[in-house]
Amino acid sequence: MRVAFTLDGQPVEIDAAPGERLVALLRDGLDATSPKLGCGIGRCGACAVLLDGAPVPACLVPAWRVAGRDVRTRDGLDEAALAPLLQVLREERAFQCGACAPGAIVTLAALHAHEPRPDAAAAELLMAGNLCRCSGYGGLRRAIARLFR
Amino acid sequence: MNGPPPRTAHDPLVPGFRFLTDAAAPGMLHAAVLRSPHPHAAILRLDVAAARAMPGVAVVATAHDIPGDKRFGLRVADQPFLCADRVLTVGDPVAAVAAETPAQARAALAAIVVEWQPLPVLADAAAALLPGAPVLHPGGNVLHATAYQRGDVEAGFAIAAHIIEDVYETPRQMHGFIEPEGAVAIPGPEGLTILAPGHWAEAERQVIAGMLALDPARVRVVASPVGGSHGGKDQLHAQPIAALLAHLSGRPVRLLWSRGESIAIGVKRHPFTIRMRSACAADGTLLAHAVGLLADTGAYSQHGPEVLDTAHENAQGPYRWPHVHVTGRLVASNAGNSGAMRGFGALQVHTALEQQIDRLAAACGVAPLAFRLQNLRADTAPGQLGQTLAAPSWASLAARRLRPPPPPRQEGRWRIGTGIALVEKGEGFARGGPNQASIALCLTPAGRIAVQLGMSDLGQGLHEAAAVLAARRLGCASEELEVLLADTAETPDSGPMAASRGTGIVHRAIAAAAPAFLAALLDRAALRLGQPAATLRLGPGGIWAVNTHANAPLLSLAALAEGAPLRVLASAAPIETTTGTGAVHALFTGCAAEAEVAVDCLTGRVVVRRVRLIPVSGEVASYAGLRAQLEGCASIAAGFVTLEGLPAPQGRMRADNLDGYLMPTIADAFLLDVDAVENIPPDSLGPRGVGEIGINAAAPALCNAIRAATGFVCRRLPVDPEAMLTHLGAAP
Repeated sequence: MRVAFTLDGQPVEIDAAPGERLVALLRDGLDATSPKLGCGIGRCGACAVLLDGAPVPACLVPAWRVAGRDVRTRDGLDEAALAPLLQVLREERAFQCGACAPGAIVTLAALHAHEPRPDAAAAELLMAGNLCRCSGYGGLRRAIARLFR
Repeated sequence: MNGPPPRTAHDPLVPGFRFLTDAAAPGMLHAAVLRSPHPHAAILRLDVAAARAMPGVAVVATAHDIPGDKRFGLRVADQPFLCADRVLTVGDPVAAVAAETPAQARAALAAIVVEWQPLPVLADAAAALLPGAPVLHPGGNVLHATAYQRGDVEAGFAIAAHIIEDVYETPRQMHGFIEPEGAVAIPGPEGLTILAPGHWAEAERQVIAGMLALDPARVRVVASPVGGSHGGKDQLHAQPIAALLAHLSGRPVRLLWSRGESIAIGVKRHPFTIRMRSACAADGTLLAHAVGLLADTGAYSQHGPEVLDTAHENAQGPYRWPHVHVTGRLVASNAGNSGAMRGFGALQVHTALEQQIDRLAAACGVAPLAFRLQNLRADTAPGQLGQTLAAPSWASLAARRLRPPPPPRQEGRWRIGTGIALVEKGEGFARGGPNQASIALCLTPAGRIAVQLGMSDLGQGLHEAAAVLAARRLGCASEELEVLLADTAETPDSGPMAASRGTGIVHRAIAAAAPAFLAALLDRAALRLGQPAATLRLGPGGIWAVNTHANAPLLSLAALAEGAPLRVLASAAPIETTTGTGAVHALFTGCAAEAEVAVDCLTGRVVVRRVRLIPVSGEVASYAGLRAQLEGCASIAAGFVTLEGLPAPQGRMRADNLDGYLMPTIADAFLLDVDAVENIPPDSLGPRGVGEIGINAAAPALCNAIRAATGFVCRRLPVDPEAMLTHLGAAP
């Protein structure tokens, strides 16, 4: 099966088995490695991408579902628009090893851009699908408190 | 496609930042491993002929295809790279395939024929000690044992006013890093390059070269950056099989473990059963302490002997005990693999010991803090096993910042309690361990100063610490420094990135290398400028005149770099002691903790509200980094006490993915206060590592908070809500 979609603003076309997951398509087929394969069951959030602007775990999305749609990974986000958010995450040490960072950044950016913007408590709750083992979430909570006032 | 990641700082916020398991190479094959479905079985027949004929398959390997060493390990090489005749755990590797696509590799696995003969299963250490238990290793199931005695414990118990005796069980905790284990092996004209997250690139190179019967100079290992480890990547994982398949096929091979493979075969924290009998006099003076340790190391030794030694060495804590008897056994079972994890053996005994201390204090009516201060060993006293120390742990300085815990209280359906703990833990390795560490300082052709270090950045901030500490010592700006980590083609052997040694090693190795490096820089500058080296110094941007008010350097580093390359290699002297009994450390770090928990009387759930950590840090390289490390420590400790455990009934892990194993999420996060003891009497040892000690202190403080709130003794971790409810129902 041939699948055509927009990846990080560029049109792409690739052969995919019908049941293949988007995360495998991205990482193995298209060398788009910012989504990380942490669990494959949608629990850790490390493979989160934006599908038509909404965050989804790429490990739960079958390849056929993305045909004709817009897929954006962490590496495809607008750096200029993202810069203030990254600055806060950096200042607050939100991440250490950073394996969870691409998925968390994609999710956080989508929440931040959402109208109306959730408050800090709601944003924290919505980040419970992104696991981080290094940080204990202290830095992420401080960043959320600043970004979602 | 892409090769190794670029040599930038470990900065995952930069777009395009790649881990080693993200790497790919032209013509790369994808690997998959056939693993044992049985906890214990003999392999009667293994036939890979059909798999070799499958579409897209480039190579199928079994143990017979390994040209060199067949097994690996630290003290004892007892773990097969591929099992030939017997498997000792679910997940043990039996055969491996490399094919054009991941799907073809998986399809080929299904074509491999194995005839198994299941054998009796040793589900845990206790089962492995029963008479008539199957023997898993040639020397028996006890892989290591320890014993230490001082005074006469029975005499101590005979005169004691209070004796607390109990058995504590600690869980098999999972490291839970987000990047599962993996490796990319790339053959080339220079030899074989292995890109894989690890802790000790040089040792990994030696073992892989031994397996392939290659000159180590023909093997290159790049082991940093690491997408999380917490000790779980401190032993070979996917590297050997990826290397073997690449070696046999002559093509690049990527082997990525699934989360299921990581859980089945990746190492976990050792489950311990700890028996403690501890006694004090009526006035609270500690008298006698008898400890029996039993650790389940799973199928192979891995870091087990070191973990048991560390537990053994920390069983007395920072206290004075006239009479002590400690024994320990490390036992093999068919339940996965136990190995290194932050806190490393000491955590298990700390949770038991600090509960014993609190219970003794309560028995004689002395407040927990006063009881600890009353029994604290003198700072200058020998260590727990009688060894002379390189410096005091300064646990006393941390203890004096503890505040007496407030009394427990009820808030609606919640019981609130506060507990404290005081611990010390060794830094670096015990006597005889790989304590040496080399570092190189270079002036690169581009005019930058490079720090080359053979250790890895696991996310703990080694990259930043190396840059900051080198800049401080050399007098330049940290932005002018390049830090290159864990690439055997360029970095010297710095020993393992483990045991909280990173920051201290960097400090000491840079101190060793800096004088010669600065002298070489200034001598060269003196020659170029025609003025004595004594009138020059290194500063921001290049070489400056001393005592100048100039606003620019006399010579830029770029200009100075013209000509022959400049590289100075130096080593930090190992911090070891020749005194004391057994595998002892010479350097310990103290840490105290206060923790507040709320126990839900409706559900039995324990919620961590707040933790305060007081580590003896000495000089701090980065305050933000220090806080981040301790926040991570506290979270892993909270998981250990309240959530996490991976039972393996009949030798089968009860979870095969992250849905069956609960780790803290942001909804479980709590506030952490850090009150680091920076001002310690000066020595040359540098900053003390805090990457582990926060776990060791926070976990027992949480246990004591739970007991303070409810009277519940944390005999078995994590706390089972059902057991808590039963306790609360029975309590008056």
